[in-house]
Amino acid sequence: MTRRRFINAHIIDPGQGLDAMGYLDVTDDRITAVGSGTPDASDAPETDIDCSIIDCKGACLSPGIVDMRVQSADPGAEHLEDLPTLLAAAAAGGVTALACLPNTRPIMDEASAIDSLSMKATRIGGPRLYCYGAATKGLGGQEMAELGLMSHAGAVGFTNGTTSVADSLIMRRLLGYSAMLDKPFIQHCEDPALGKDGEMNEGETSTRLGLIGHPSEAEVIIIDRDLHLLRRTGGRYHVAHISTAAGIDAVRRAKAEGLAVTADTAPPYFLLNELAVSHYNTAFKLLPPLRSEADRLAVIAGIADGTIDAIASDHMPVDRDAKMQPFGPAQPGASGLDTLLAASLSLVHHGHISLLQLMTALSLAPATILDIIGGSLTPGSAADFILFRPDSGWVVQGASFISNSRISPFESLPMQGLVDATYINGVAAFAR
Amino acid sequence: MSPLEIRALIDRSNIFADNPHDGVSAALAGKTIINLFYENSTRTRVSFELAAKRLGGSVLNIAVAGSSVKKGETLLDTATTLNAMRPDILVIRHNCAGAALLLSQHVDAAVINAGDGRHEHPTQALLDALTIQRRVGRIEGLKIAICGDIANSRVARSNIHLLGTLGAELRLVCPVTLLPADIGNMGVAVYTDFEAGIEGCDIVMMLRLQTERMAGTETPSQREYFNLFGLDSAKLMRAAPQALVMHPGPMNRGVEIDSATADDVEKSLIRTQVEMGVATRMACLEAIATRTQ
Repeated sequence: MTRRRFINAHIIDPGQGLDAMGYLDVTDDRITAVGSGTPDASDAPETDIDCSIIDCKGACLSPGIVDMRVQSADPGAEHLEDLPTLLAAAAAGGVTALACLPNTRPIMDEASAIDSLSMKATRIGGPRLYCYGAATKGLGGQEMAELGLMSHAGAVGFTNGTTSVADSLIMRRLLGYSAMLDKPFIQHCEDPALGKDGEMNEGETSTRLGLIGHPSEAEVIIIDRDLHLLRRTGGRYHVAHISTAAGIDAVRRAKAEGLAVTADTAPPYFLLNELAVSHYNTAFKLLPPLRSEADRLAVIAGIADGTIDAIASDHMPVDRDAKMQPFGPAQPGASGLDTLLAASLSLVHHGHISLLQLMTALSLAPATILDIIGGSLTPGSAADFILFRPDSGWVVQGASFISNSRISPFESLPMQGLVDATYINGVAAFAR
Repeated sequence: MSPLEIRALIDRSNIFADNPHDGVSAALAGKTIINLFYENSTRTRVSFELAAKRLGGSVLNIAVAGSSVKKGETLLDTATTLNAMRPDILVIRHNCAGAALLLSQHVDAAVINAGDGRHEHPTQALLDALTIQRRVGRIEGLKIAICGDIANSRVARSNIHLLGTLGAELRLVCPVTLLPADIGNMGVAVYTDFEAGIEGCDIVMMLRLQTERMAGTETPSQREYFNLFGLDSAKLMRAAPQALVMHPGPMNRGVEIDSATADDVEKSLIRTQVEMGVATRMACLEAIATRTQ
């Protein structure tokens, strides 16, 4: 039995609403005590020779980040990033659990593919890797995949990856079937016809640059349709990487109505807007595209009022070859794991939300949505937690990312927030 | 570009236009110019080639559509390869917006944008300005209507910038399906009624409508397009009495413009535009060559 006590820690536990200087006790792989101030004298581990004391020197201690939107290039495109570097980058970024999209090769549209990736991750060790099952066979949007069998294999939800299910009848059945299995349906909301060929957000900037516009309505049209279906089918519906003011309003209204709707966004959508594209820098080509300033502000407001439940990295491995192109044909996507915490902390530094709210969005909310381990320091729970210094400054340099995916829309930007250590099941998966 | 820079280029173009064969300048003597064309083009490529030759330069034409691109080489690899051969000026035409900028970031040679996707076609706007200047004597205060496929037109965007900078009053006339978002913010008035749009205009500039856009996707049919947005002599009556007609070419006769109007020697500047193309490109090449010396 190994006992450790972390003292002088700024405990941020969204699970218990705790935000105070305090301590955390870990025994083997479990959290055994957490509290503010100094521990009771009656429980004096200083006299316990088996207990080591770790002085956190004021660093923040919170549940590990649960990143609910990650693209793994493994299997199928390991040259972009294999599972070991993905998991190492996750651990270094403070991520203790991540959920991977089914957009792999082969596509994760059957139980064996999910088994295979999960087992590979277990062999490597580090952050807990979960998988979404492809909602339709081959992500083609036409035939339902074996959701039940994938659910048995551990799928934490279903999604059509980076496309919306366009067929309303198939979508209705998928929502109902996911509800039957008690799994959330994760939708990338983009009307395929309206967003077809779109190269950047539609507006004055796209017109000036001569790039094909991708109208923001493409998002809310799918959300609205799905909400109508959800009223009939029941179940849990989650909007992935929400990026538009109209989409956020739709989710806000649905929540007020009592529908089981949740949403996440990613740092580019609250830190950047479409003007970033002005010089055709393809690092800013993302999916969905960077939106207008009004949309960006709506994303911040949505996070602040809880309409947007979670923040995910939206990590998508893309290499230089796919980006060193004119803007139109360049591949969308960017690395996100290395910058997730620091980029998200900007919301705290700018006074939009509290640290407790931030860790709710990064940890408790996604863990709750996916019904997986994480998000709380409650005694008895798995010792998945991180130590980080929210004020430590650094400059984003893709070249020094731990992830093998090195294209970042935040390249050269100064950031604040560094992870000191990441513990999973009480074991340090990363220490600076 | 500032109005002053534009004026200087137009003035210099004007001299070349007056003396096309007189050896006014040998600015490109000993220099290598590569025309790198990713899209088919006759007039722009020939125009750049002639301009470079008249300035004494050596010209190489690469029709990329038929060479290494088919073997999968990327724009930047082609650029790096050409750069190793140390050209002085690269003239690029590409189907992607921003391609000329991207190229300029990766080669040592000066880069001239001969059209990048739907973005810009700067020398076309310069030659249009020169054409108008020579015929009318001024650009400031002229009412100019740019008509047709604005959404997909780099010519429209470049002319909005350039003619707007020079003080013209600009109108865009096109079906709503070919109107890009928020273009009204670029200092232009927008019309979807053709005759109202060209009412009282001094210049009616027609744009090419790609035939594939007339198959019911962006406009219902060719005959409807011509009926609503095509220019013929009857509609031209709505413009100013001395109105002139322009078209960057190549024309779709009977689609956006009828032959009688296009070939009207009194009113059509279309052939003059081609002629001015060479003079304008001479001025641009010379300006770059003297700057890089």
